[in-house]
Amino acid sequence: MFCIGVFGVLLRRNAVVIFMSVELMLNAVNLVFITFSKSIGHVGGEVIVFFVMAIAAAEAAIGLAIVIAIHRHKKTVQVDEINLLKW
Amino acid sequence: MDLQQPQSIFFLIFAGIVVGASLAVILHKNPVVSAASLVLAFFGLAGIYAIMNAIFIATMQILVYAGAIMVLVLFVVMLLSLREESHLEIWRNPLKQGSILLIVLVFAGIIIAAVNYSPDIPKLGPQNATNQADYTYNLGQKEGVPLQAKGNTATVGASTFLEFLLPFELVSVLLLAAVIGAVVIAKRDKLRNS
Repeated sequence: MFCIGVFGVLLRRNAVVIFMSVELMLNAVNLVFITFSKSIGHVGGEVIVFFVMAIAAAEAAIGLAIVIAIHRHKKTVQVDEINLLKW
Repeated sequence: MDLQQPQSIFFLIFAGIVVGASLAVILHKNPVVSAASLVLAFFGLAGIYAIMNAIFIATMQILVYAGAIMVLVLFVVMLLSLREESHLEIWRNPLKQGSILLIVLVFAGIIIAAVNYSPDIPKLGPQNATNQADYTYNLGQKEGVPLQAKGNTATVGASTFLEFLLPFELVSVLLLAAVIGAVVIAKRDKLRNS
């Protein structure tokens, strides 16, 4: 699932789809945390997953705000057209 | 992995849903279909968490991810009226094709090595890690009787507020910063008349 997310980030040009691939990577990490928390028997893994979910929600808000701000200026969300800082 | 237990069959079903939906997220051209299949992937993942007896996290997954984050994403997709992308032009360049193949081989090698050469994971808790065991969290003693928080939600709650209290407070500050930042970034300038 993590690899699928990585390929999504690398191959797509739409900024919102790139964001969704990052969420896929975060969920893959959550799955690994809960699996190991279950197999070791310690509940700390689930607490970490809880915090990761909260951080992902915060990152979702800010990331989508950035996408909206970019769209307001350049009227596009394709990431190869956002090249003002390119040399 | 014995198929006699019903948990294995459910795990296969949910895992298939998750992998299929994840592939649909990255491969489909229409961003609305990508968002909808991401919601499906989150539901399948919540099913896997529920199979592993992490019911608090499964509920939080549906509430937070499929409920709040995907609503945000769908808002943005509908607000910006995103169109379908043209076909992925990364497949044209042979150098990029070669590098993607190299990355796939490296990941496959890492997974195979991890499966074959991984050490045994130690079981720290006194209970066996069976699927029916519940978590317990020791809260101390009261007149010689050990107090315990039994059950998944009680244990996660006790652990959050007793052992992980500092990260909890820091995450709350982070959420506050994120809310303020999102409002500031997406605000309209008063000088523009758009």
